[in-house]
Amino acid sequence: MDEIANIHVVASLGFVLAFVFGAVANKTNFCTMGAISDWVNMGLKGRFGAWILAMGVAIAGAQMLELTGQIDLTQSIYRTTNFGLVGFILGGLMFGVGMTLGGGCGQRTLVRVGSGNLKSLVVFLVLGLSAYMTLRGIIGVARVELIEPLAIDLSEKGLEEQGIATVVLSWFNVEVSNGARWLFAIVISALLIGAALRIDDLRTNFDNLLGGIVVGLAIVGAWVITGIIGYDDFDPVPLEGMSFVAPIGNSISYLMTYTGATISFAIAVVFGLIAGSFGYALVTRTFRIETFSHKGDMINHLVGGVLMGVGGVLSLGCTVGQGVTGLSTLALGSVIATLSIMLGCAVTLRVAYHRMDEKGRIAALAAGIADFLFPWREWE
Amino acid sequence: MSEITKELDTSGLNCPMPILRAKKALKDLQPGEILRVTSTDPGSVKDFEAFAKQTGNELLESTTEGDAFIYQLKKS
Repeated sequence: MDEIANIHVVASLGFVLAFVFGAVANKTNFCTMGAISDWVNMGLKGRFGAWILAMGVAIAGAQMLELTGQIDLTQSIYRTTNFGLVGFILGGLMFGVGMTLGGGCGQRTLVRVGSGNLKSLVVFLVLGLSAYMTLRGIIGVARVELIEPLAIDLSEKGLEEQGIATVVLSWFNVEVSNGARWLFAIVISALLIGAALRIDDLRTNFDNLLGGIVVGLAIVGAWVITGIIGYDDFDPVPLEGMSFVAPIGNSISYLMTYTGATISFAIAVVFGLIAGSFGYALVTRTFRIETFSHKGDMINHLVGGVLMGVGGVLSLGCTVGQGVTGLSTLALGSVIATLSIMLGCAVTLRVAYHRMDEKGRIAALAAGIADFLFPWREWE
Repeated sequence: MSEITKELDTSGLNCPMPILRAKKALKDLQPGEILRVTSTDPGSVKDFEAFAKQTGNELLESTTEGDAFIYQLKKS
């Protein structure tokens, strides 16, 4: 019998893991944009808590794997010495605006495609094409000319990587020991899990608890699959977690060039997530075709898809790619990208609210930004 | 059945728009008045339950009519 290639093992396991992720995300309504919307619009923090819990679980698991020497997260894209600060902030803000206009982040888009939402299918295609154009196409030229030269090379500052422990301790001229890394990992994951569990609507809401734990464990599972099970010197696969911007572009390319293309873990994860959500929708009879019915709504989704595709590549990831996977490596860039995405989303929600006052675009934008510049002013 | 003060149609719109629009519409109502919201977003069922619980505006009714989800909110 022919030996099965390593990449096929890794991709198959990725598909299965993502299938579970997709089914659970559909069941629990896990949504990072919804998380921010619930908080900003109604002061409800349960779904935000689910996201924070996912971060905490993913950090605990990934760091345990790294600090016990089973995987080397400095080999992932998140912990390199290439610190693209402008990309993290600009791309993160773009992604945050985009996911609010487009009905949810990359992950949510896939879940909604699986449950029959054709608006999200349009976002999927536009997001994927925009991401691919930013990676290798015409927008990539602008990225390489304008954004990449602004990246800071941390090795010039004597740093070997951008892990939070390394950056902080080097700042104080302290040697980075393994003990210090353990301390950072334990404190940060405990703080996040503790903060999440303090939220009533997380503790008392089974869906929010389940969503947070499963998403966190899925990312740890991805590190195990690509870093331990798939580790092979002679037939290597890239070490990666789960991410949903560049992989959506690569999935579209994979389908179009199938006869000459090779599957990857990330592509299998994209299809697995859609399939898991579809399976859940079929079993629970919640599959339902949804279409655009307003001109403005379609424009919003198209713009949202472009902003997520371009922004997500500039920031090296989305609310899952940076906001859970990236954070699980404890990379400084992931913290900046995630906070930028959150801010972009929150401001867009406030601008949308002010727009309903029949304010002009500029006035609504100013009012929305002012809500965050002067947080002591009471929101309506 | 109580008298409806204001109708809001959010058909075709997804999260977060139905909640945002309902929140805005409720602002213009007097306490005790009723807002009837139509939505086609399946996610809106949980959203309106949470919204009512969190804001104190009572959710008098949550039903379906054909493809649409109908909510009646009483301003607190």
